[in-house]
Amino acid sequence: MKTLTQVPLGTQVLFGPAVKRRRRVERLVFSIFSRWKYEEIIPPIFDYYDVFSKGMGAELEETLYRFVDREGNLLALRPEFTSLVAKTVATRLQDRPKPLRLCYCGDVLRYEAPRGGRQRESFQLGIENIGGERVACDAEVIQVAMEALQRVGIDRFQFNLGEMGFFAGLVERFGLSAQDLSRIRKLIDRKDPVGLQAEMERLQLSPRRREVLHALLHLTGNGETIDAARRLVSNEKSLSALDNLAGLYAELQRRKLAQHVTIDLSEVRGLDYYTGIIFKIYVPGLGFEVGSGGRYDNLLKNFGCDLPSVGFTFFLERLMALPLKLR
Amino acid sequence: MSKPVKSEEILSVALSKGRLQDATLELLGRAGVELDTSEAGSRKLIFRDRSGCFQFFMLKPVDVPTYVEYGVADLGIAGWDVLLESESDVHQPLDLGIGRCIMAVAGPRTTARKNYRELSAVRIATKYPRITTDHFTRQGVPVEIIYLSGSVELAPRLGLSERIVDLVATGRTLADNGLQVIEPICEVSARLIVNRASYQVKRQAVSRLIQRLADSLNR
Repeated sequence: MKTLTQVPLGTQVLFGPAVKRRRRVERLVFSIFSRWKYEEIIPPIFDYYDVFSKGMGAELEETLYRFVDREGNLLALRPEFTSLVAKTVATRLQDRPKPLRLCYCGDVLRYEAPRGGRQRESFQLGIENIGGERVACDAEVIQVAMEALQRVGIDRFQFNLGEMGFFAGLVERFGLSAQDLSRIRKLIDRKDPVGLQAEMERLQLSPRRREVLHALLHLTGNGETIDAARRLVSNEKSLSALDNLAGLYAELQRRKLAQHVTIDLSEVRGLDYYTGIIFKIYVPGLGFEVGSGGRYDNLLKNFGCDLPSVGFTFFLERLMALPLKLR
Repeated sequence: MSKPVKSEEILSVALSKGRLQDATLELLGRAGVELDTSEAGSRKLIFRDRSGCFQFFMLKPVDVPTYVEYGVADLGIAGWDVLLESESDVHQPLDLGIGRCIMAVAGPRTTARKNYRELSAVRIATKYPRITTDHFTRQGVPVEIIYLSGSVELAPRLGLSERIVDLVATGRTLADNGLQVIEPICEVSARLIVNRASYQVKRQAVSRLIQRLADSLNR
């Protein structure tokens, strides 16, 4: 029997100076969000299971806290905010002028082994930009994230920018099962050439295809990476992903933000709902990304309203682990 | 040290004590990392190389992935066995080819003749519960794990379990204890692992070290 004083694994309690510090960080980050006219939305802490499971991907779906209500409906605690914001916009705010700018902060819950900068209960702060023009909104979201970091005193950071469409186009004609594909994705994400080689042999991929996937592991760097990638593929989907990336990179250069950006086409891990650009935010001195984001053009369709969208979120506990300047 | 290296450019590397230690130090030497042998060979747990570009931690092998996952060490050298068992979320860009051996199911000759698939459950003593569970359940065979932290080869002799799962290098230790390999599970060698954030933020220094190690392997 557990005693009343025991705490469940993966939960946290803040008090004293830690509370003051956290509220300050929230306020400062939110001050940037509101300067960019992002309006706060407070979604529910739980919703129907399907709201989250659609688009999350099998791996993350396993981490949902599920429960059944008295009517027998399957519900889940929110593991992220984007699905809830998307649902609200699709069902109730679809007629508002675009782009819609919304921001949120609050707890998310995931049932996973508490390790490596992950808790079961954690705190996210983020924005969603819905229904706007693609390149401008992608760039805006990245700029907001950068300004928010600077506002809390972080001047050195790196945004790793990838494009989901590039990899998707690459493997489309391989005819792999979802399971095989997820294994390949995992190996690329781990930058593991040995495992990748073995897996490609098992799947009997042609030498040409093996070569391309191998090259993908090293497709990372500045704007030139996009050109290098272009020489590697001929399918339309990948090429259009690269055009898209090149357009965004040029826009970031124009906004004088590109020095913080690394193009990384081996960045293939993300929620299943991401369709275009994805990015992860790294800060020197911390072993985990402090935030991530991306474009999810098909998510709102699940809720009956077709609007392209992009957003990002900060993982607040990780942000708090950095030496911040909170003035 | 010739010229001072800025602290943020120093790469910290977690190394495994014990089985991999000598081969690791030798490999680093071949890759042009000049270690002060008196330091590396001594019982010092933290030491630098001559250029001052690297800082090394000597750790218990199972702890290497942990230090790297948290970014306390930017890179690490750890056995594939340890990585499989820890399921750490780290990059694995290089197979270093040192410390080669196999992970295998083993037991006394009389046991080896019996087909464990016909048992209602297999009982296995091991230091590697995750690898073992994975191996048997994948075949649809229920497994009862007896977790041990060392001297696993004694378990059959002392009657704790008929079979074990452990690393086999030469097979000497097995033979000395009257055991033999029943079936191999996978090949094992040391891997270079890299923290996800370090891989991005210290890209140049990390790539340079990966390249130097890769070159020394091909030589």
